[in-house]
Amino acid sequence: MNKNGIIYTIIFTFIIAFFFVFFLALANDATVELVEQNKIVSVQSSVLKSIGKMPADEMKISEVYTEEFDSVPQPGEMIETEVAGQSVLIRYFSGSGLWGTITGIIAVDDKVERIIGLDIISHNETPGLGGRIDEEWFKKQFSGEKISTEGITVAKGAGSSDEDSENSRVDGITGASLTSKSMETIVNNEIEYLKTEGRK
Amino acid sequence: MNEATPSAIFKDNVWTNNPVFVQILGICSTLAVTNNLTNTFTMTVALIFVAALTNVTVSIIKSLIPRKVRMIVQTLIIAFYVIIVDILLRAYLPEVSKSLGPYVGLIITNCIIMGRAEAFAQANGPLLSFWDGITSGLGYMWVLMIIAFIRELLGFGTLFGFPVMPESFTRWTIMVMAPSAFFLLGTFLWVVKSIMLKKGAAR
Repeated sequence: MNKNGIIYTIIFTFIIAFFFVFFLALANDATVELVEQNKIVSVQSSVLKSIGKMPADEMKISEVYTEEFDSVPQPGEMIETEVAGQSVLIRYFSGSGLWGTITGIIAVDDKVERIIGLDIISHNETPGLGGRIDEEWFKKQFSGEKISTEGITVAKGAGSSDEDSENSRVDGITGASLTSKSMETIVNNEIEYLKTEGRK
Repeated sequence: MNEATPSAIFKDNVWTNNPVFVQILGICSTLAVTNNLTNTFTMTVALIFVAALTNVTVSIIKSLIPRKVRMIVQTLIIAFYVIIVDILLRAYLPEVSKSLGPYVGLIITNCIIMGRAEAFAQANGPLLSFWDGITSGLGYMWVLMIIAFIRELLGFGTLFGFPVMPESFTRWTIMVMAPSAFFLLGTFLWVVKSIMLKKGAAR
């Protein structure tokens, strides 16, 4: 058979594409549950981090989580729980950052007066710059932060950390003003939402 | 390439005909992932894996591939292995997968793999092709690791995520951004070429 003929070429291309795609489908099918599981665990660990109940042992995340909650939130969903006798609203938020969508978990008290905690699930910000929103020092600034009538300000500060939790203000990231600004907008939108939806 | 013995291939791919600093291939990923060592390491290991297996596969079926669709078939094979890597990372190393983001997928367009498949695997046996893929990957790896070492050290003050610089160290913000990779790669090329020229002159 002529190997450069059109019939051979079509048949060959078809067979080889079929063969490789078949194997990919197999590999995908074999790992789909694991991938799904990883996603769920990452949401669970974010929720636990936001309310400060993250277990030291990462293997126990699901265990601790199921003790605390009945369901894993979907994007945009709000769930409630109690931390130390106080009820807490938790929302799986998503909003636009500089390069792409930033998703995460925000926890506030039921009167929406203080942020309990914040954690980032995914983002596409510049590594080392905007990407630093995922660093502990940045997220920790939100814990216990008082919410003023204007919400929260992510200010251009020393870029290290703002320890004062009464001034409704956290330090932004040096060299990533736009990502810092996006975070401010996202958090304030969430606060607005939780104020109207949460206080029913 | 004069003769295709394993040691000649090794020397060629790692030094005299290095894919990064001689052929200037795979520059996109050189700029993109080298701001920390962990990501660079995962990326280069993935590249070695894909390059080696693509070469073997192309080499095995080379006599069956019609000339007209040669490139398309090679791309298909590369894409197949890259997606396999992506799936494995997502299932078993979700953290790494998260931080590498879209760059794993970009291995598909890495010219080193395509170049080796076309230039070497099309003309040589599976075993030699396998070795060629691995050594090309190594040639890519050591250059990227050096650049990543400098960038992470100065940009974050850490190595593989562990702080090594004193607290008072001021991070060089430029080092974590793509432009610094241009500077470093340029400097690196200069140094290596000077060494090569010196060696050539001494001969």
